[in-house]
Amino acid sequence: MADLDDKKPRDMRMKEKINQKLIETGEKERLKELLRTQLIECGWRDELKVHAKEIVKERGIENVTVDNLIAEVTPKARASVPDAVKKDLLQRIRTFLSQQPGL
Amino acid sequence: MNLDGCAHLRSFKTRKGTEPFRIVHSYFIIAASQEARKRKANSCYCHMCKQHRPRLHACLHCVFFGCHGARHIHEHARVKQHNLAVDLSYGAVMCFSCGDYVYDRELETIARDQRRKAAKNGQVKELCCPWDPTSAEIELLQRNPKRRKITESSTIGLRGLINLGNTCFMNCIVQALTHTPLLRDYFLADRHNCQMEDNANMCLVCELSRLFQEFYSGVRVPHIPFRLLHLVWTHARHLAGYEQQDAHEFFIAALDVIHRHCKGQNSESETNPHHCNCIIDQIFTGGLQSDVTCQHCRCVSTTIDPFWDISLDLGSDDARNNNNDTVNRGTSSGKLNGCDNHPESTTLTDCLKRFTRAEHLGSSAKIKCNACQINRESTKQLTMKKLPLVACFHLKRFEHSTRYHKKISTYVSFPQYLDMTSFMSSRRNDNGYINGTIAEINSDNNRYALFAVVNHLGTIESGHYTCYIRQHKDQWFKCDDALISKATLQQVLDSEGYLLFYHKQFLEYE
Ligand SMILES: [Zn+2]
Ligand SMILES: [Zn+2]
Ligand SMILES: [Zn+2]
Ligand SMILES: [Zn+2]
Ligand SMILES: [Zn+2]
Ligand SMILES: [Zn+2]
Repeated sequence: MADLDDKKPRDMRMKEKINQKLIETGEKERLKELLRTQLIECGWRDELKVHAKEIVKERGIENVTVDNLIAEVTPKARASVPDAVKKDLLQRIRTFLSQQPGL
Repeated sequence: MNLDGCAHLRSFKTRKGTEPFRIVHSYFIIAASQEARKRKANSCYCHMCKQHRPRLHACLHCVFFGCHGARHIHEHARVKQHNLAVDLSYGAVMCFSCGDYVYDRELETIARDQRRKAAKNGQVKELCCPWDPTSAEIELLQRNPKRRKITESSTIGLRGLINLGNTCFMNCIVQALTHTPLLRDYFLADRHNCQMEDNANMCLVCELSRLFQEFYSGVRVPHIPFRLLHLVWTHARHLAGYEQQDAHEFFIAALDVIHRHCKGQNSESETNPHHCNCIIDQIFTGGLQSDVTCQHCRCVSTTIDPFWDISLDLGSDDARNNNNDTVNRGTSSGKLNGCDNHPESTTLTDCLKRFTRAEHLGSSAKIKCNACQINRESTKQLTMKKLPLVACFHLKRFEHSTRYHKKISTYVSFPQYLDMTSFMSSRRNDNGYINGTIAEINSDNNRYALFAVVNHLGTIESGHYTCYIRQHKDQWFKCDDALISKATLQQVLDSEGYLLFYHKQFLEYE
């Protein structure tokens, strides 16, 4: 792995390291769960659910795959995440990183 | 949802059983132990592009991880003819022969059981999964085809309460509790697991569950809360009898009984055994920091105490004489201190400023300084260390002394939205003064919205309690025992508040 690591640009290695730390400590799962709850609470999930249902209804369940649905709802889904939720998540990741020695 | 999987998955299961899925799910999706997480962190990257990529999948046929984004898992499936892979974020099985995810009852059960087990041990959180009705529930739904849809103008959740003889103090607290958003979610989601199984009809939490059902059943005739009253009398004997009681005292007693009846149900958090995790403490408990500064050496000793409500002096010309019992926890009732000159009007913010300002304890109340090792004159300052999800402010309108009992009718104006940032411990600087400037602290997180106000009308001898509650974000109603009427926000804000209930606008999670 060492020689391979050297070829990667620096920030990519950093990203890998951060990701590893997030998984190792279980923080990633905690943040995911938190994000999930916040998105449910602000109505984001319900709104997308309706949207996805409409797509399925329109085309018939036989003609839609999960991947089709993901491709179709992702732009809207990304765009409609409330800023406050994004800000909060970012802040939490920052706090987490600042508490990690050796990063 | 079709839970029969597909022909490919069935054939795979006949040949290899469920073990491959079981292993992948427990090692790489649940990864409950520290060790497992370490393994996951080190090994979960795409074997082709060597990166941690989102939507990583594990082949069910061999040891291979491939990403979905660059279609490396697809490539593996095609080249090796390994048509089944598990999505490592959620555990869904992808069948490349069918070209979609397939769902198999047996594998879903394995996944759910693994997660439950890990959740029980406190290693991972239980996912909030969509409701999957059982056959009994489906039958029940079919037999009762009528559905209730909550619209903007719906009055569901509003219900009067019969006065059982001076029980308006209880009725208005019940109205405030049933309109506390998080408490309502808890009870309507049927989350209470009774700890008093052999004696469930003595459980106040069970009774509250029934009460929430009553309130949200859509029935319009007033409810008669005699069972509740009986339970309160049984569990909080000091409130028994038909005399008028103090609504604030009742509120604290009710929280205490509910908290006690919840005990045992994941009540002790792992991090701090003294910290209760029951629904009452999750919603109402905040942390109050007390800093005592030695006037000789400036050394500060800090303690943090939990609170369920904040009792506020309405102010007078002479300063606060004591604040020893301004905070309530448990059954102790707030005693009131006597001072005579009350202002005509004040504001909630002023009361909070007074509550959180540094105060000289005087020469007659010396406190032992840890640094000096002798009793010293000190100052004391209270600040909010941890904000509760629901903040209850108790305005001390009743004054009791050996000579007299009287009511203070000072008008206290209070806002619809309240920012608590300036009363927090993080804002206190070393000199013991609160910073006057808006700090870098994200004050969005400290914003509260008013949702209930309890009012006391009349005098201390013959008074009556009513309350205002908020419904659907911005509609207000006045609850006067059995009578519910529409109200305006202005009426609420102009009223003579006794207890003010605010909830946090932006929730944080532990
Ligand atoms: Zn890849
Ligand atoms: Zn394979
Ligand atoms: Zn298939
Ligand atoms: Zn119970
Ligand atoms: Zn508790
Ligand atoms: Zn000292």
